[in-house]
Amino acid sequence: MRFLPLAILFLTTLFVSHQARAQWIIGGFMQGHRKASLAIIGSQESYSTYFINKTETKNPNLGTVTTQALTAVGTYGLGYDLDLIVAAPYIRTEASAGYFPKQEGFQDASATLRWEAYDYKLGKKLRLSWLFAVGYSMPIQNYVNDAMVAIGRGSKNWDGRTMLHLKGKSFFITGQYGYIRRGQVTLDHVVNYYDPSQLNPNSGSKVNVPDVTEIIVRGGYVNTWLNLDVWGQQQTPYTKGTDIGPGIPFPTNAVGFTRVGATAYLRLAKQFGLTAGYNTIIDGRNVGKNSQINAGLVIGHWTANN
Amino acid sequence: MRLFFVTISLGALLVWIVGCSEPTIDEGVLPFIVPTSTDADGGSWKTVVLKAVTDISVPQPLATTSAAYQQELADVKNGVLAATPEQNTAVNYWAYGAVLRWNQIARQLVAKYNVAPGYDYATGQTTPAESANPYAGPPYAVRVYALLSAAQYDALVVAWRAKFQYNRPSLEQQGVISRAPVLDVPSYPSEDAAVAEVSCQVLAYLFPNEVAFLKAKATEHKQSRIWAGASVPSDVKAGEALAAALATKVIDRAKADRFGAANDPTNTWQTALAKAPYDQKWTSLEIPARSPILPLAGKVKTWYDSTSIAKIVPATPPATTSADFQKALSEVHDIAAARTRDQSRIASYWDNGPNTYSLSGLWNLLTEEFIRENGQNELRAARTYSLLNRAMQDATTASWRMQYTYFVPRPSQIDPTIKTATVIPNTPSYISDRAAVSSTAATLLSYLFPSDATKLAAQATEASLSGLYAGTQYRFDNDEGAKLGTAIGQLAVAAAKVDGAK
Repeated sequence: MRFLPLAILFLTTLFVSHQARAQWIIGGFMQGHRKASLAIIGSQESYSTYFINKTETKNPNLGTVTTQALTAVGTYGLGYDLDLIVAAPYIRTEASAGYFPKQEGFQDASATLRWEAYDYKLGKKLRLSWLFAVGYSMPIQNYVNDAMVAIGRGSKNWDGRTMLHLKGKSFFITGQYGYIRRGQVTLDHVVNYYDPSQLNPNSGSKVNVPDVTEIIVRGGYVNTWLNLDVWGQQQTPYTKGTDIGPGIPFPTNAVGFTRVGATAYLRLAKQFGLTAGYNTIIDGRNVGKNSQINAGLVIGHWTANN
Repeated sequence: MRLFFVTISLGALLVWIVGCSEPTIDEGVLPFIVPTSTDADGGSWKTVVLKAVTDISVPQPLATTSAAYQQELADVKNGVLAATPEQNTAVNYWAYGAVLRWNQIARQLVAKYNVAPGYDYATGQTTPAESANPYAGPPYAVRVYALLSAAQYDALVVAWRAKFQYNRPSLEQQGVISRAPVLDVPSYPSEDAAVAEVSCQVLAYLFPNEVAFLKAKATEHKQSRIWAGASVPSDVKAGEALAAALATKVIDRAKADRFGAANDPTNTWQTALAKAPYDQKWTSLEIPARSPILPLAGKVKTWYDSTSIAKIVPATPPATTSADFQKALSEVHDIAAARTRDQSRIASYWDNGPNTYSLSGLWNLLTEEFIRENGQNELRAARTYSLLNRAMQDATTASWRMQYTYFVPRPSQIDPTIKTATVIPNTPSYISDRAAVSSTAATLLSYLFPSDATKLAAQATEASLSGLYAGTQYRFDNDEGAKLGTAIGQLAVAAAKVDGAK
């Protein structure tokens, strides 16, 4: 259960990223057999500059884009080595200048199975585990997917990842590699201009959202009442995509970023805790230069007590 | 063992999803058109740019019995049998339809050059349009389509006349089994070569940076008909020659259509703005403010009768202080405040802003379907596009003239709380060119394809309303735009009725 605040923060972080679309991220701590938890996290993030390809820019017709989200995440231990994680966010996003309308609604629901395949004891104090996870996410409602101000990109995604998780008495470090396969999306209009190298007059309204890979490293301090950790995440487009530009569908953009953050968890009662965090994008590609703060409640079993 | 098995399965799944290649864009493979008629009388149809079809003469071909022709025929026969995979790809690409393919190429180029001068944060400047490639905004886009399809049509009328005058039998009748369906008309001169050459030259004039690309396309197109077993080289040569003669005349018309001054280099629009008969004047809503798009495009020479078009004058727009205007404004406000998902979709579908092939290009795309469904041959397809695009250009010209007469502000200028589903076009609001162009297109296409009239009327209504749903247009813009468009569409229908095609 220790993983939960970590996972939640990743969830909110990425769910509301302007160009990054909904996805989940999970950590290395297992939930425990038949143990459940629910987290409700509120977050706010904003950007006033963004990257066109890798060049940072600003648009006076956009101003600052602020996104607020409320995300619910439920986790249940189906077995001692198998967890189910489900999540759903409600999002509102708005630009301070220009005439872009506010967008609001449920974004993408996701479900993930995580499996702890191997667990080794290294000496008396260290434990190393190797985990795998497979997830699927899809839009809950048919939101606008091709706009400068949008709550998501609307694709259905498969996510596969593997993690190495090392834990000592009061510290941990987790490294993971994931591949997110994003499906095609249907735009509201016919695609006219996609990529100069593959101008295609017979294109319809369906476009491909580039797949991405990501590497996440996170490490921190854990005890019964408190968690503190720092993390870094790098997402890289795997398949070919476009760069932001007039006439270019937003979902086809190749999105990548490097994000760093910190998370704190404080346990107030046996089945109740508070969490808070901050993270920011330090480098990106076709993405808003977002900074985010978040805070929330965690109800249910907390694995640090195991 | 179980662990091992599951690990292997998961690993395999991961490799599978990473490894699958996925299409970056969907393009279905469409079957070839089977033309439903040959239009043997096509050589007598009324031409557009040419005063008479006889203005261009096509020389008499060599007799089919001559040794030179027999040699050509034998070479083509052997070539068909020895075609390489690359040649087959080209054959199949162009067999889709000469007129349709060149229309697609024109749309691609419009999308490429339809880049509004934009604000560059790095320099703090609005980037100027490249002089070699004028900004292909809506008036430029529709002019490209009109000039191209008028040229293709005239080229094919000339070709048709010569075909049936000289009556050189098609290669199929001489025992060549072609690699793609070929219309059963005399083979001399090649209709594909005529379309390829005239399209290449007209587009090269309009997009001077693309000459090399266009020439390569045209060369491949002409050659593909020989590889396909549809024409011998002398057929191609004759088609090419008549097209070259025609292209000069089309380009002469383009040079004299007054479009050259449409971007208003001396900023006369500011004087017109000051004199505009409207109580509150349009200003650019972009930050920083920019000059409007092609302010003098309303003075461009029309294709259909200019006197009749000048008589179609929309009503004076209601003053901003009037109750009618306030009602119209609050309607835009209410829709913007509670825009439904479907209204957003409609707004986005008909928007066709920067870097798209423009609304007129969308109508060309929609017409492609009708042409295919109805099995129109090259000549008839060219006629459809020529009638349509000339009418749409005239509708655009008339709309532009109104916009730069009244300079009616966009709704968001008067009420900044109106948020728009699409980017606000950097032009005055009244009248809606989107409504005008779409109503023109639907009126003409309903005449040409009567079984689709209901569908077309619904599309025109939706297109007219799309600006209101987007929050960029008042209802009276749309209503007057639709009226004007319908009237111009009717002019085009009247012309179509007397051009000789049944």
